[in-house]
Amino acid sequence: MSDAPLPHPDLLAAIPRLRRYARVLTGDVTRADDLVQETLARGWEKRRLWVAGSDLRAWLFTIMHNVFVNQRASAVRDAQNVSLDDEGDGGAAWQVPVHASQQAHVELQEVMRELTRLPAEQREVLVLAAVEEMRYEEIAEVLAIPVGTVMSRLSRARARLRRTLGGVDEDRPTPLKIVR
Amino acid sequence: MSRVQISHDDVHAYADRQLPPERRDAVEAALVRDPALAAEADEIARQNAWLRDGLDAMLAEPLPAGLVDAARPPRTRGRPPRWLATAAVALCTLGLGLAGGSWLRDDQLVRAGMPTTFAQQAAFTHALYAADVRRPVEVWAPEEKSLVTWLSRRLDYPLHAPDLNAAGYALVGGRLVAGNERPTALFMYENAAKERLTLQARKEPADVDETAFRYALEDGVGVYYWIDDRCAYALSGRLDREQLLKIGRLVYAQLNANQPTR
Repeated sequence: MSDAPLPHPDLLAAIPRLRRYARVLTGDVTRADDLVQETLARGWEKRRLWVAGSDLRAWLFTIMHNVFVNQRASAVRDAQNVSLDDEGDGGAAWQVPVHASQQAHVELQEVMRELTRLPAEQREVLVLAAVEEMRYEEIAEVLAIPVGTVMSRLSRARARLRRTLGGVDEDRPTPLKIVR
Repeated sequence: MSRVQISHDDVHAYADRQLPPERRDAVEAALVRDPALAAEADEIARQNAWLRDGLDAMLAEPLPAGLVDAARPPRTRGRPPRWLATAAVALCTLGLGLAGGSWLRDDQLVRAGMPTTFAQQAAFTHALYAADVRRPVEVWAPEEKSLVTWLSRRLDYPLHAPDLNAAGYALVGGRLVAGNERPTALFMYENAAKERLTLQARKEPADVDETAFRYALEDGVGVYYWIDDRCAYALSGRLDREQLLKIGRLVYAQLNANQPTR
């Protein structure tokens, strides 16, 4: 038997969600896993700061957000001519090693394509609210922004998605209502 | 009747199920009066479902070894001095145990050994989610049909959530569990005393034979597990062996009744 210390079950359980969010952030499988790796390492370093009983997932997402923002900032410093904003190159195929049915794979590609078309700040809020089902206050804490900003980004993300997905044309604001 | 002013933020919060009950009722009343607002709420719910359906596939992926390693406590930094570790072990041996936060459980888990077999994994998963008060499942029982469809698609195996009401257990809901090998579906049940059972299912490779019921007791969690028609099942709960077996038989009978003849 190996004498490596065993993985922490709560961390282990959080990894799939962290990876998913990291992919949404970075748009790249390898970079995403590096980000998760770094997040877990920071988690261990800062574990005394985690308040027992509080939501471990939200805490880890906060760490990941900070690591990501710092990495992006230093990458921009290192190579100022390289655009790191994913806006505009949203059509790129997404290589994801998903062990699921073909249909699930196609759906994932579709969702990722639309998501990468959103500005990063809207994408983050949308995924945390709609997919991670975090409370708006939690999202505000994770991203270190006011709740009002969470709401406006969320609203813009959804309006944009509505337009691209070709749902009902609700580009315009809700019309004046005539009640009876 | 007094009409509460409903904002667009309220509609988002409603669709994201974040409103307290009285506010939710007010929004619902407004949606009934206002078709445009109702369409907005529907559209948000539709987008949410589309996003989740697409992105949930990633949760079932096997974890790369590097990330599993990153979940292990670091050895170099912050390692407790040897005398402290010895003292902790001595305390445990004396039966005093270690109280406190979940980060302290490492030592206990090391001694207990990590789950390696299907039954151990099932007991471990059961313990993890059955104890979760707020989010034991991803999809709740009222959406049973879409839950079963979703999980069947993710496992690529036609699943059914057995009806265990005869044994006093109602379906709470279910989730997809990221296994180290293959994705696993989990259905959770609860009785009137809030005791929970889980039934986990995982598709097996074609060359795996059917097995009889086997029983394992893992850290206080009883598990009956078996393989039937290329699917491995594990029924887990903190009940005594006879009770669990009775429910296991109920599950088995229903799954077989539901199986298409081939």
